[in-house]
Amino acid sequence: MHETGSSTAAEGRAPPVLLITGLRAGFGRTPVLDGIDLEVAEGELLCIVGESGSGKSVTALSVMDLLPRAAQVTADAMMFRGRDLSVMPERERADLRGNEMAMVFQEPMTSLNPVMPLGDQITEPLIRHRGMGAREAWEVAVEMLRRVHIPAPEARFAMYPHQLSGGMRQRVMIAMALVCRPALLIADEPTTALDVTIQNQMLRLIDELRTDLGTAVLFITHNLAIVSEIADRIAVIYAGRIVEQGSRDEIFGNPQHPYTLALFAAMPRLSDRGRRLASIEGQVPSPDSMPEGCRFAPRCPFAVARCREAAPPLVRIAPEHVVACWRAPLEEMAT
Amino acid sequence: MSPTNLLEVAGLTKSYPGKGRLFGTAPRATVVDGVSFGIARGGTFGLIGESGSGKSTIGRAILRLVEADSGSVRFDGTDLRELDVAGLKRMRRRMQIIFQDPFSSLDPRVRIGRAIAEPIRLHRLRTGAEVDLRVDELLEMVGLASHHGSRFPHEFSGGQRQRVAIARALAVEPDLIVCDEPVSALDVSIQAQVLNLLEELRDRMGMSFLFISHDMGVVRHFASDVGVLYAGTLVESGPAEAVFGDPRHPYTRMLQVATPSLGMTRRTRAAEVRGEPPSPFARIPGCPFASRCPQATEICIERRPPPDAWASGPHRSACWHAEELPTMDGDAGIVADDEAGMTDAYRRRMALLRAARAV
Repeated sequence: MHETGSSTAAEGRAPPVLLITGLRAGFGRTPVLDGIDLEVAEGELLCIVGESGSGKSVTALSVMDLLPRAAQVTADAMMFRGRDLSVMPERERADLRGNEMAMVFQEPMTSLNPVMPLGDQITEPLIRHRGMGAREAWEVAVEMLRRVHIPAPEARFAMYPHQLSGGMRQRVMIAMALVCRPALLIADEPTTALDVTIQNQMLRLIDELRTDLGTAVLFITHNLAIVSEIADRIAVIYAGRIVEQGSRDEIFGNPQHPYTLALFAAMPRLSDRGRRLASIEGQVPSPDSMPEGCRFAPRCPFAVARCREAAPPLVRIAPEHVVACWRAPLEEMAT
Repeated sequence: MSPTNLLEVAGLTKSYPGKGRLFGTAPRATVVDGVSFGIARGGTFGLIGESGSGKSTIGRAILRLVEADSGSVRFDGTDLRELDVAGLKRMRRRMQIIFQDPFSSLDPRVRIGRAIAEPIRLHRLRTGAEVDLRVDELLEMVGLASHHGSRFPHEFSGGQRQRVAIARALAVEPDLIVCDEPVSALDVSIQAQVLNLLEELRDRMGMSFLFISHDMGVVRHFASDVGVLYAGTLVESGPAEAVFGDPRHPYTRMLQVATPSLGMTRRTRAAEVRGEPPSPFARIPGCPFASRCPQATEICIERRPPPDAWASGPHRSACWHAEELPTMDGDAGIVADDEAGMTDAYRRRMALLRAARAV
């Protein structure tokens, strides 16, 4: 029988580093997130897939506590390594950032200080959070730069970010994020602006580091091809709600939600020349004019009256797979 | 060099002075280095390259938005580089460019109906009330409604702005459209909408395209012929099928290996994807890719291979070892069919989706 419930209750996995249920976030009277449930275990890579405006970056920034003050964030639970983030004082959360949880962005200059030598930037979290002396911090930082394949790391310490190539900056940013060996790394479209060869190197690096260091990774992207290469589990998010979540094998092998299918169909393939792409008509609704019922219904070719009336709950259809669609599985449609 | 080609680019070169040029000793940065290719009438040439490869400079140099140092750009038989201002203006009506960021090419204070009407009036293609009719027609052609004409650029989403840019380019009924990363800034679903629109227009009106992109998937989808740029030089070119199906340059192969692809089987990201392109200031006597190339030998470091060091019909490769390159297969990263290996459930539902769309 189908069981209604959150996407999180899976057994036999490592204890979650991050566990979120019912995350809501909004600005003023405009809700952006409407009850997000997520969980990432040690050494696991969870991809959050969605388009601009879906709320994937707001999810990440809520976890990091980096949203502007005007934002209201609430959650039924927001547990990080057994501690409840939603009741934690601001100062303690600031202490977690760059230490136990770290984030990398699409644009490396967002997190690099242009007027500070790289060496100071990389050793700073070690000195601040780990109480290391300058010498020890230097050694750890050099080791981390070596890990991210920066040639001659000692020589980079006196350099400034603008003296590095784009790919090198990305790697330095990752080194900075990981230098304190965080339990959780959040990567927000970290490879979108990169050339494919540099992107490939970055993905390999993130994969290596989570395997070697056991870092839990929350990887945000709209590119299913990247997801296909790195994800353990996938959460598909649309207009502030998770519409489908499951293991990589389930989502790729048994995709259920029409939005997930549409994302697959919209990808240009190396093999589909001459065929029109299956585009998704229309666009993501804006937060202040969310449709009733299923939020994908206005763009969904399978939508029926029920879809426009009531929001479908996330239903567990396999041990590692939940989906929120009245019409799933599509083969059983009446018409 | 087919005489029937609409556009024929030969030996195009562009460099910029380096720092300290006051003393006349600084080396110049060569960003485009002797590039030659042609675009057939009604054909689509995809130019692939990573940042700094010179691909955008080539697009701009063709339209003379930047002036090349040397080489020729023949458009319908006329060398654009020899035209005076008046001649160039006449020719420009026949060539349009669409940029990655449509916002930057639209004046934020001008309603888009007027923005589209401007080139029509400028080139005196319509007069009086006919201009407005033409604007409505163009808006409809790109999937917008005529009431959109009274809106300002900021009222549009990224995908819609790109539609506006396309309508504006079509306004002058050009023979050639240069698209410089037209869908790179868009989400996949919107990207698909814009690509489909461009394809529809091409099929309907038969104009030629120079399609510049870093995305192999997008280029493969859209272009009939392709050129792969590396450090300002065209390292491989030819029919899309030949270049993607049997790449004869190690850099093309590296790009293919590095491009993530959908599939049930997770590909091991290949360790041979390494290094970065050389600086445009570097004077490299040999092949610019040699320092990153797993196949490089002495000759590669010493002598630069000509664009047709290897050729098989229109398929050319600037590689001394093109002939001996190992056969590529799935293990090496080339996936012949991305949907191969997908489950029955996946295929079944994709078929349902396509069927539902068709209704």
